[in-house]
Amino acid sequence: MYGSTNLSEEDAKRMNTTVEDSDKLEAFESRIARGEKIEPSDWMPVEYRKQLIRMIEQHAHSEIVGALPEGTWITRAPNFRRKLALIAKVQDEIGHGQLLYSAAETLGKTREEMMNDLLSGKSKYSNVFNYPANTWADIAVIGFLVDGAAIVNQTINSKGSYGPYCRALERICYEESFHLKQGHDNVVYLATGTKHQRAILQDAINRWYRPLLHFFGPPDKMSAHSEKLMKWKVKLASNDDMRNQFLDMYVPKIWELDIAFPDPNLKKNSDGIWEFSDPDWDEFKRVINGGGPCNAERIAVRKFAEEAGRWVRQALMNPSEKYQIPLA
Amino acid sequence: MSSLDPRVNRLDFKKLADGNTHTNSHLITWEVFHQEKRGKQVVHVGIVHASTPEMALILAKEQYARRGKTTNLWVAKTSDVYTFNTEDEDIFETTPEKTFRDPAFYKVRDRIEKFQNKNKVAL
Amino acid sequence: MKNEAIKDLLFKMADDALIIGHRNSEWTGIGPMLEEDLAFSSMAQDKIGHAQALYNILHDTFGEADANTLAFKREEKNFKCCQFVEQPIGEYDFSIVRQFLFDHAELIRYDMLSQSSFLQLAQLAKKVKGEIKYHVMHADTFVKQLGKGTEESKARMQSSLNYTWHFALGIFEKSELENDLIFENIFDGEEELKNRWLEKVTSIIEASGLKVPATDESKIVYGGRKGFHSEYLKPLLDEMCEVVRSDEVTAEW
Ligand SMILES: [Fe+2]
Ligand SMILES: [Fe+2]
Repeated sequence: MYGSTNLSEEDAKRMNTTVEDSDKLEAFESRIARGEKIEPSDWMPVEYRKQLIRMIEQHAHSEIVGALPEGTWITRAPNFRRKLALIAKVQDEIGHGQLLYSAAETLGKTREEMMNDLLSGKSKYSNVFNYPANTWADIAVIGFLVDGAAIVNQTINSKGSYGPYCRALERICYEESFHLKQGHDNVVYLATGTKHQRAILQDAINRWYRPLLHFFGPPDKMSAHSEKLMKWKVKLASNDDMRNQFLDMYVPKIWELDIAFPDPNLKKNSDGIWEFSDPDWDEFKRVINGGGPCNAERIAVRKFAEEAGRWVRQALMNPSEKYQIPLA
Repeated sequence: MSSLDPRVNRLDFKKLADGNTHTNSHLITWEVFHQEKRGKQVVHVGIVHASTPEMALILAKEQYARRGKTTNLWVAKTSDVYTFNTEDEDIFETTPEKTFRDPAFYKVRDRIEKFQNKNKVAL
Repeated sequence: MKNEAIKDLLFKMADDALIIGHRNSEWTGIGPMLEEDLAFSSMAQDKIGHAQALYNILHDTFGEADANTLAFKREEKNFKCCQFVEQPIGEYDFSIVRQFLFDHAELIRYDMLSQSSFLQLAQLAKKVKGEIKYHVMHADTFVKQLGKGTEESKARMQSSLNYTWHFALGIFEKSELENDLIFENIFDGEEELKNRWLEKVTSIIEASGLKVPATDESKIVYGGRKGFHSEYLKPLLDEMCEVVRSDEVTAEW
């Protein structure tokens, strides 16, 4: 759940009641049905714009907040290879944020407005980044599994209907494959290393297991649905489907290293569906609403960056230049 | 605040005054164009926020040219780039039908052969 | 003697690059704007890469330990970086002014070394010339715009310039072995470098509407080249080797 497409009750209600110009709506919907993309200056339903901004903005926030747990170990990365890879990887995440904010800007919300909504708590980011990176092994697990989960989500979203978002995701997915590779490399070195290395890896897996199950959002039976978002190709797969795809791709890659997940019920059924113990969805809600171990620090650090950098941006501003929405 | 991140522990949080981030410090955007190799087209790749063309170029370099090959980057202020309205996309509609512009449209082999057969042209 | 002099030069260059690279990497994720995070991060990667390349020369040509051992397992007193690069990142004005002053010295140093009779260094200098040129372009652009920006930015830039000036002059701390380098056409020496640097940064500082601080010889921060460091180096080195030390039997991370 990088950019969440789970609707609140009110949103779901409004989605079904907002009246749009029927000719334009029909043209818009048939364009999407034909598999064509929507571009920024096209007519689009108010709710389409709103939900896209919400989703892309959350995705962008997730990238730049996600840089913080991993940044925790930049100065401590143990050798040249790991250090350069980690700095480049975290840099990419900031770059992803930049690309995604830009895509959201084409829909009419400025980067500054989005930053402000992040800092005020009005706008969310992925829950997974509210957990700490306690040891170096967390960097391996984040790089491999959190990025792995993100890739499942992003690859699916790149088939969506909004042109600028798809373009950004195409580039992002390319860079993510480097993240995944270096994360896997790191995991494998730990898993095939000393007792100590295996122990910190196992400990990290134990702690990240639940947040990873939470990553794709609540089970389908618990979340508000919108046929419209599916029809408009804003949401392209259900939470459960994405979660299943993730487990299918990555659980075996951990098991083959003789590392366990802390869940005796984790297994793949004959119908291809993964089964797992209830990952405590109350905790998910608690964390998303600010009760996680690192929510306060993440926001405080972002706030610091924005405030400490304000004088720089102000000094660069040219008051005679009027901001205009970017083209693509 | 005590953080697991030594970098964060070095930040001086006390120095920040008001906790207010509404600052109106939003820089304008520049459209960025990328040329991979000499002889290739220069292609639009995205935007950066910056104040001047020099700064836009400097910043675009690390966002749009940090991997692979690059020969040059161009930037133009977003407000200096003009486009058609997407509603006017129909002006391009019949263009693909205008096959008389395409080399493949011109096929005379059949005609030549017919002529040769008819007139028994020796080769 | 000549080899000792070259090693001394390589160590100080490598250690400078390693430490300032680490410092600049601290901006990843907390810069004044996303685009600037990206730029600082790339420059950090470049610098750490330069350090690695220089340690590799020490390893390959002079039989020193491998790059990882030199960077992550060496004692503080054996580091030869100047104290300037050790200082914490502070606020953005400090970091950008440091980058400006440091990288102009780097650009000239590598330019001089591209003619060096010590071929490994001459080759490396030619290879990384473009990277350092970008670092300087980046710093110049920001110094010029912030130097001519708001009242706050002008004041900050001037005070950071004043604060860093005597640190920056510490870059050019001379080594007793330096004459060997000059004699052998390996490196033209710190004095020559300093003079060229002074001329260059003076013109840009002035063009940016800022004042070149007056130099007080007694205030120049020396010591780093001889292994005497500020209070900030040791904690950073400890941080850098925390993971390696957590499991001494481990060969591979
Ligand atoms: Fe990302
Ligand atoms: Fe990633």
